[in-house]
Amino acid sequence: MIPNLKTDQKLKRFYMNRRQKTLLTIVVAAIILLCVVVGGALLDQDQIATNLTERNLAPSLQHLFGTDWLGRDMFNRTIMGLSLSMGVGLIGAIGSTSIALILGMAAATMGKMADRLISWLIDLFLSVPHLVTLILIAFTLGGGFKGIVIGLAVTHWPSLARVIRAEVMQIRSAEYVQISRQMGKSRWWIATHHIFPHLIPQLLIGFMLMFPHVILHEAAVTFLGLGLSPHEPAIGIILSESMKYLSSGMWWLAFFPGLCLLMIVRMFETVGGNLRLLIDPVRANEK
Amino acid sequence: MTRKLLGLIVIASLAISMMLAGCSSSKSSDKNKVERPMDELVLAFGAEPATGFDPTTGWGRYGSPLFQSTLLKRDDELNIVNDLATGYEVSEDGKVWTVSIRDDVKFSDGEPLTAKDVKFTFETAAGSGSVVDLNVLDKVEAVNETTVIFTLKEVQSTFVNNLVATGIVPEHAYSGDYAENPVGSGPYQLVQWDKGQQMIVKSNPEYYDKKPFFNKITFVFLNEDAAFAAAQAGTVDLAYIPAAFSNKKVPGMKMEAIKTVDNRGIVFPFVKSGNVTDDGLPIGNDVTADPAIRHAIDIAVDRQALIDGVLEGHGTPAYTSVDGLPWWNPETVIEDGDMDGARKLLEEAGWKDADGDGILEKGSLKAEFSLYYLANDEVRQSLAIAVADMMKPLGINIKVEGGSWDVIGKKMHSEAVLMGWGSHDPHELYNIYSSDNAGVEYNNTGYYKNDKVDAYFEKALRAGSEEEAIEYWKKAQWDGTTGLSGKGDAAWTWLVNIDHLYLVKDGLDIGEQRIHVHGHGWPATDNIVDWKWSK
Repeated sequence: MIPNLKTDQKLKRFYMNRRQKTLLTIVVAAIILLCVVVGGALLDQDQIATNLTERNLAPSLQHLFGTDWLGRDMFNRTIMGLSLSMGVGLIGAIGSTSIALILGMAAATMGKMADRLISWLIDLFLSVPHLVTLILIAFTLGGGFKGIVIGLAVTHWPSLARVIRAEVMQIRSAEYVQISRQMGKSRWWIATHHIFPHLIPQLLIGFMLMFPHVILHEAAVTFLGLGLSPHEPAIGIILSESMKYLSSGMWWLAFFPGLCLLMIVRMFETVGGNLRLLIDPVRANEK
Repeated sequence: MTRKLLGLIVIASLAISMMLAGCSSSKSSDKNKVERPMDELVLAFGAEPATGFDPTTGWGRYGSPLFQSTLLKRDDELNIVNDLATGYEVSEDGKVWTVSIRDDVKFSDGEPLTAKDVKFTFETAAGSGSVVDLNVLDKVEAVNETTVIFTLKEVQSTFVNNLVATGIVPEHAYSGDYAENPVGSGPYQLVQWDKGQQMIVKSNPEYYDKKPFFNKITFVFLNEDAAFAAAQAGTVDLAYIPAAFSNKKVPGMKMEAIKTVDNRGIVFPFVKSGNVTDDGLPIGNDVTADPAIRHAIDIAVDRQALIDGVLEGHGTPAYTSVDGLPWWNPETVIEDGDMDGARKLLEEAGWKDADGDGILEKGSLKAEFSLYYLANDEVRQSLAIAVADMMKPLGINIKVEGGSWDVIGKKMHSEAVLMGWGSHDPHELYNIYSSDNAGVEYNNTGYYKNDKVDAYFEKALRAGSEEEAIEYWKKAQWDGTTGLSGKGDAAWTWLVNIDHLYLVKDGLDIGEQRIHVHGHGWPATDNIVDWKWSK
């Protein structure tokens, strides 16, 4: 009789509702993000200088993630790679969200022709896997940092644009907007005072969900060897060069950077997913 | 949902790859050895020649032409000896080469090889516009069945290398697809070629010289990882491997490290900036045009550290592009890894760090330049990064950039490039250092020019024979006061000669391997007729 009670209590003690869980994830994610950003800013090329006397070392206290075949510290390389990836991810996601916002609003407010055109464009982009479009765009722009960022920004907007279009259409037909219009408010005034504030949650969630996606695609593109020079510490490059050493038993080259990438991507996804559920009025009170 | 799936896939693939890695290193099997007849051999090489097996477009320059045979050849000491030829004479003025050839040679299809085929071969090669450089050849005549006369436009002592390197093709069986269906008088004939996968050859019954031990050889074309895996699985008798794998033992196989002139070095723009090529590409670099910078880098580089660190110890220091060859001048060897000496040199030349940022300046000029390397070549990448890091304490900031040959081609006249050469033909020295070749393709990309060196080249080329020329080749490198090597102008900083590593099955005797040339794989076949099982 008592054991049952006990487990119940234990469960209760560690039980957190979705809001608390989300808050906790946000805090942890923020700390990691801060570490990576600060770390990335503090580290420069000197910290990943080659040291030909300390090559191929397994992880130790001195080199947390071990060293690679040129004696570069893998921890520093991973942090630099992550901060580069997150920087690219941030710029890419902001760019994509902006494009989505502009096109979504335009489709919903600028008449039938614009709507048809933009919907067609969204369908077009959605019909091709965007890793393919991304590679194409990055390649045509001559690769490099710029190529990848632009490529990421112009390929990740379609699904969010579609959501925003639907949202705007819904808000536009709401009664208070109709009344506002009849009272002589300008289109611009309605857009900025009625529609945009209602879009902010959607935008935020769209952005949060897009961010890890963009990071993953940045890693994929650099893994394939497009864009950045192979000595730059991008996470995809680190992973792809480690493949060659896996068969020599140097697991730490792939394991830690891969794990870090996975953790960050998962974390931001969880935050985004939870926020979406919390904002959704139908499902917000689900446990 | 898809994102979760993606995450799962990532975890799964990581886990699987690690498990696989664990497996392969823990129990390299000796149970799955493939039984093969004694006279058959399987070799794992990187890639087949992209242009096929036509000697008139370059096949056979590196390694044995396999299907064809040449007029002359080099023996294990790199002396030139007769092959198809029974002898050759050079006229007094050095312009007319008379070569007499054997009368008992047949192509693998049974037709006899005559002087007409030789004439046809050289005329085709001269007109092919390929890497085969026969500009100096005026005309070829077949006097009778067994005598060929080559008339040159001008004397060139290195012309003999064309007789060494060019396999003779049959006039009667030569057509557009010859590169895929080679017929020749070499030790082997082609049975089957699956492009990008494998090639099977069998011995040529008509071959006139020593019969090879192996009757059937299969070349499989694998990348480095796959070649190593094949060696571990025991499915190949010989596999080329990169230095990164050299520490791992494969049961039943031994590793052979073969000395090479497959060198890597940094070519510097030799002139000051300002000019452009005909295509509008910039020429010159103000920093590397300063001899102090080039010399400082040349003596500061710790070549042995590069060999131990990047090549796992499988290499030799390089001081010129011809180290160890008969025309190498051993006086070009310098003390390297000398940071203090390099610092002094820079200081004397007026380079100092005025603003305290760790990078030297001279007036408004900062001691920094870019170093380009071929992005998909890991050894070049590692060398470039390591050298750049070695130069940091000196105050020379080398910015490392990876790129394809297209990218490098646009930058190579105005920035430093990590390149590699290595040939059994002394003409290469002329190609990469003479002012005649400045800006021609990938030769002399830095626009190096030294009138004295050019004069030595002229003398070497005009010499009556290779032996006579050797003295001038050596002087071009260093004559006591000037030269192209590090002691002289240091137009290049040569870094290392990369040993070619092969995993060879126990008991397989691959003979006395000569100093290998540029390229990993085919040069090993140079003496393939001598290969045998030693037990």
